[in-house]
Amino acid sequence: MSNFLTATTLGNPNPNKSFEVSEPPNDSVSSLSFSPKANFLVATSWDNQVRCWEIMRNGVNVASMPKASIMHDQPVLCSTWKDDGMTVFSGGCDKQVKMWPLMSGGQPMTVAVHDAPISEMAWIPEMSLLVTGSWDKTLKYWDTRQSNPVHVQQLPERCYALTVKHPLMVVGTADRNLIVFNLQNPQTEYKRIVSPLKYQTRCVAAFPDLQGFLVGSIEGRVGVHHLDDQQQSKNFTFKCHREGSETYSVNSLNFHPVHHTFATAGSDGAFNFWDKDSKQRLKAMSRCSQPIPCSTFNSDGSIFAYSVCYDWSKGAENHNPATAKTYIFLHLPQESEVKSKPRIGTSGRK
Amino acid sequence: MGKKKKRVSSKVWCYYCDREFDDEKILVQHQKAKHFKCHVCHKKLSTAGGMAIHVLQVHKESVTKVPNAKPGRESTDIEIYGMQGIPPDVLAAHYGEDEEEAPSKAAKVDIPSTQLVGGLVPGPLGVGYPPQSTLGAVPPVYSAAVPVPPTGWAVPPRPQPWFPQHPAVSVPPSAPMGYVQQPLFPVQGVRPTLPVVSTSTALQPSQIAPPGLPTSTPPLPVSQPLFPVVNNNVPTQSSPFSTSLPTSVQPSTTAEVKGSIEVHSSVNTSVPGSYHAANISGGAGANSHSYASGPNTGGPSIGPPPVIANKAPATQPAVNEVYLVWDDEAMSMEERRMSLAKYQVHDETSQIQLFTHCYPFDEMSSIDAAIDRRILESRLAGRMAF
Repeated sequence: MSNFLTATTLGNPNPNKSFEVSEPPNDSVSSLSFSPKANFLVATSWDNQVRCWEIMRNGVNVASMPKASIMHDQPVLCSTWKDDGMTVFSGGCDKQVKMWPLMSGGQPMTVAVHDAPISEMAWIPEMSLLVTGSWDKTLKYWDTRQSNPVHVQQLPERCYALTVKHPLMVVGTADRNLIVFNLQNPQTEYKRIVSPLKYQTRCVAAFPDLQGFLVGSIEGRVGVHHLDDQQQSKNFTFKCHREGSETYSVNSLNFHPVHHTFATAGSDGAFNFWDKDSKQRLKAMSRCSQPIPCSTFNSDGSIFAYSVCYDWSKGAENHNPATAKTYIFLHLPQESEVKSKPRIGTSGRK
Repeated sequence: MGKKKKRVSSKVWCYYCDREFDDEKILVQHQKAKHFKCHVCHKKLSTAGGMAIHVLQVHKESVTKVPNAKPGRESTDIEIYGMQGIPPDVLAAHYGEDEEEAPSKAAKVDIPSTQLVGGLVPGPLGVGYPPQSTLGAVPPVYSAAVPVPPTGWAVPPRPQPWFPQHPAVSVPPSAPMGYVQQPLFPVQGVRPTLPVVSTSTALQPSQIAPPGLPTSTPPLPVSQPLFPVVNNNVPTQSSPFSTSLPTSVQPSTTAEVKGSIEVHSSVNTSVPGSYHAANISGGAGANSHSYASGPNTGGPSIGPPPVIANKAPATQPAVNEVYLVWDDEAMSMEERRMSLAKYQVHDETSQIQLFTHCYPFDEMSSIDAAIDRRILESRLAGRMAF
């Protein structure tokens, strides 16, 4: 039935038959974030909006219900939920962060500012602080009740990626710097390294066990890096999101909250599930017709949300605003896709 | 093994940097990305001349040289597109080079650089790529010293910018001296011999440091897999090398080698450290030539590559160059997008469509909303297969 549709559109935007979220944004999605307490999904977009849907799941059936949305003055680049699941923070090109107590029906208010667009943010429950990273080469920590930041941390370059898992925080900046912070001592850089990948850093993700982090670059490669010097031999990198001689950027890295395997999503429009301990790819999903700029798991790992829309990886010339479409899909990972597996071949060989 | 020379020369190659490619489409992509790209706004043009005109008209700057081109190939006047437009003499010379190797090998060996045979191989060659082998006496030595067949060097080397054609080849003798030291260094295997070689020269340690090749492990491994040449024949005899290189026989070996290497550097970026830069396909994206994919496969510490549990990954084609879909190291996709005027406008008046049908949180208590919700839920339930 949808065959003729896919014939007319160039490529199938949903080859994985994921559930499509209703009323997606009008321009590309820049970030996706699930509430830590319930299945509420927030998406920020280049159309200046922050939208929230309630996701309801019944077995293999999924429904989405638009709940509310707010607007910024310019494209919104990042978002995060507060740990109580009641408030959402969003920030972007208007250099402001809005705190939006959406669950209680409150209005958003500005709680943070930077001198340049805010590219990343994270809420640190253990410190009750919001940390924001910007292209103005600073990280700022905010107590939302005060208008001035609690602390300003200088970065060597523009902030491109951020991941927090208390007390581990890793910041990826331009020029391939990776700065590790111990949040118990946030004013001092714990370690600064040059990315093990040779190309621009695109995303980072801290290991759930805090032993290290993943780093993804524009060159279709992910590095697995351990912090401890004794464990450096366990570091490795692997290639992904490549097709023929084309190498796509890895846009998003997300750990599964339960199984601790992880997903990568790239500009090639594919997402894959990997297990770093057995060094396997658990599942390769089909490529969508457009890039996947962002993705996330929900709090229990039962839903994987990803957006299919243009991420600018081929420049402005490949963007046609009149025909560009934005989608947000929800995939229900099966156990075989996200559960760790022992490596084939190492066991069972008689 | 038996790779035919002929085969190599039938591949397409880039006029500007002598690199070879499997097909013309990739060659064109390479040219656009490396030679016809505006250094100001990163726009890719279709010819060198077009790029020069763009830079002049849009950025009001004069461009006289084609970026990343070898000396002698930098003119923006020659209209090259893919394999079209290459002057016949250059074309012949390129294919002629292939033929020359075998015969020249024997001939060249007689050159004072007999030591080359031994000395050459070790460091510089290993690092320096086969291209060097064609430099003067180098080629024969290379082949002789290394088990790699004459064509061998032609094949593996990603055509390095500082490839045989280099007229400067003959320069080496004296000038390079200083730099020469460097290239040897990078080759890990050679390292141990270095101290033996030039205990006197302070150059060694200091030279080594700058390139950082030996020290920084990540980049090093990069070069290794590419070149089959291994430092087996590290010439212990080339000990005096630092000092009297040009004169004595032994030194000449290294001199040759280094010379060629130095030539590289100067060709490339005219900076001593350039060798280093060239070798490391590092951050600056400028070096994002082939090394990106091939050598980096393992990354700094190589573990077994990930096994694909259920689906075979796209097999890596034997392409020397990978084409980054997003290749701008200087800025991220979002920064580039932001530069578009439409996103910079403070959007207060645009009629952006908010949710058309919405179930706001604060209305949840209202009856209508509750009924709507129930309907939705029952629809969901109805769809559930028992």
